[in-house]
Amino acid sequence: MTKHTKPTGLNRRTILKTSLYATASFAALGAGTRSASAAIDLSGKQMVFASWGGSYQAAQETAYCNPFMEATGATVIQDGPMNGSKLRTMVEAGEPIWDVVDVTDTFLFANEDLFEDLDYNVVDASPLDQTYVHPKGIGCIIWSYNIAFNTDVVGENTPQSWADVFDVEKFPGKRALRDRAYPMMEIALMADGVAPEDLYPLDLDRAFAKLDTIKDHVIWYTSNSAAQQLFVDGEVGVGLLLNGRVFDVNKKGAPVDLTWNQNIRSIDYLVIPKGAPNTEVAQHFMNATVDADNQALMANTIAYAPCNPAAFDMIEEDVLPWLATTQENADKGLLIDPAYWRDNLAEATERWTEWKLT
Amino acid sequence: MIAKLRSIWLVLPAVLLIGICFIYPVAWLLQRSVSEPVWGLQNYAEIFTKSIYLGVLWNTVTIAGVTTLLCALFGFPVAYSMVHSRPWLRKLLIFVVLIPFWTSILVRSFAWLVILQGGGIINDFLTGVGLIAEPLELVYNRLGVLLGMVQVLLPFMVFPLYSVMARIDGSYVKAATNLGANPIRAFFRIYLPLCLPGLLTGAMLVFIISLGYFITPALLGGRGDIMIAQLIFERIDEFGDWALASALAIVLLVGTALLFGFVSLLLKLRGKGV
Repeated sequence: MTKHTKPTGLNRRTILKTSLYATASFAALGAGTRSASAAIDLSGKQMVFASWGGSYQAAQETAYCNPFMEATGATVIQDGPMNGSKLRTMVEAGEPIWDVVDVTDTFLFANEDLFEDLDYNVVDASPLDQTYVHPKGIGCIIWSYNIAFNTDVVGENTPQSWADVFDVEKFPGKRALRDRAYPMMEIALMADGVAPEDLYPLDLDRAFAKLDTIKDHVIWYTSNSAAQQLFVDGEVGVGLLLNGRVFDVNKKGAPVDLTWNQNIRSIDYLVIPKGAPNTEVAQHFMNATVDADNQALMANTIAYAPCNPAAFDMIEEDVLPWLATTQENADKGLLIDPAYWRDNLAEATERWTEWKLT
Repeated sequence: MIAKLRSIWLVLPAVLLIGICFIYPVAWLLQRSVSEPVWGLQNYAEIFTKSIYLGVLWNTVTIAGVTTLLCALFGFPVAYSMVHSRPWLRKLLIFVVLIPFWTSILVRSFAWLVILQGGGIINDFLTGVGLIAEPLELVYNRLGVLLGMVQVLLPFMVFPLYSVMARIDGSYVKAATNLGANPIRAFFRIYLPLCLPGLLTGAMLVFIISLGYFITPALLGGRGDIMIAQLIFERIDEFGDWALASALAIVLLVGTALLFGFVSLLLKLRGKGV
């Protein structure tokens, strides 16, 4: 999966201090030939960037948009929040107002015809781990579904696997799980002892049978902020939460932590809606998001993991353990298979609703 | 004649507004529901043959029905006290009933979580005074959904009831008791029938609004508490399946219209009977 290794001869702190020099050298190392965005003059041109709003989009503004605007003179207008039906309607009507959109991997795979092919002569994706490059999108951050727990509730004996999360004797009381077929199918199968590498294609029958065993011991959530609150309040001892959400409350002092064991990683891609008005600026913008410095700035701002391995050398020590793509964390889990979900989401979702009603 | 023409001009803005904001989109939904992926009723056939859609429709109707019933039970005494209390108390009651209108539905739903959850105010109090050993399950189930919905929808029951009750001549009930009916009999034979138009209007409002509920069941409900609006959202947001979502919306709309027609007919028949 991720193949980055830390250059042992370099001290990260030194690099941070001499950031000007570092920028030049890493851009050269990563891109090989050219510095991603600095060379082009786009003054007077503009584009619209749409993402998920809140602190995430604010971090993207800091880490991608501002450096891009400074380097090229272009203007980036913030919009959003990203919404699947809104995006679809825009493209279907033939007049998308968004030039670059942040979408999840499952959304990209399931809606490939909504997006422009990227011109990889303009977009230089070579510094990225190629796992995160798609003909129509480039990875910007990696996030993950993690086993989370409230240490006040569970004490020393923290859950180490999804099997633990499904063990109602070991962890009595309710657990918080996501009210969606994905990633609950993967989670139920891992809880039932399926190894991550044997998950796909998913055995839905087996997954639902496993879910039957904890049916009445779960608070099912659709809102991530509601889920966050469940853990903070100690309403649940164990369950599933996004790594960024755990980081957020943990830094605010809540007794909530996570394990990277059996984490399920997902990619956020940057894409260009079909028919977008400013595809040229958009593709140059993408180069700014590939840039190792900018990816590191993103991670340092909000602790979402970079797709450019070179970024790790500029990420602060206390942020590293929270990132899904460090070798150590990545080795403990798996990358979700968006192609499987493209082909099976409809069927699995129907069965999911059916199962909930019984 | 000229006056008539003039009044037509007066309703024109309203007609245009409804035409643009309601009829056109609904026609668009209807068209998509019968034309995608091919022309035909396949989307409706799917809704009426698949257990998930029937199950969720049934859920929606029962949740809306019970909500209406509870609103009537709780709203009736409130409206009654509003009519029969001193002006200052009446103002206070109206204010209290209106408060839910001023807070966002999301905030209200989260507030219910704070009150109802395992470590919430109610359970903390009950376990604290030793009445119960284990926290009661008050939320993330049907009970939570109903509490949340009744609180939000109560004003839609209280105000129609209030306006009807305020116009009831108190001498009818006095006459009944004078003629030998005990208070209970006077209430059921005289007062309640007089309140019926308000009760029916309120019930219809609450029921129809309940049918489209979305955030409350998602936040306060349990595994099986799925309502039709949630499925419509899922079809569009997750799958871009406008056709089936449209069909579901049309089913909801037609069901609501039928109910509306039925209640209006009932009221009309009653009007004639009196």
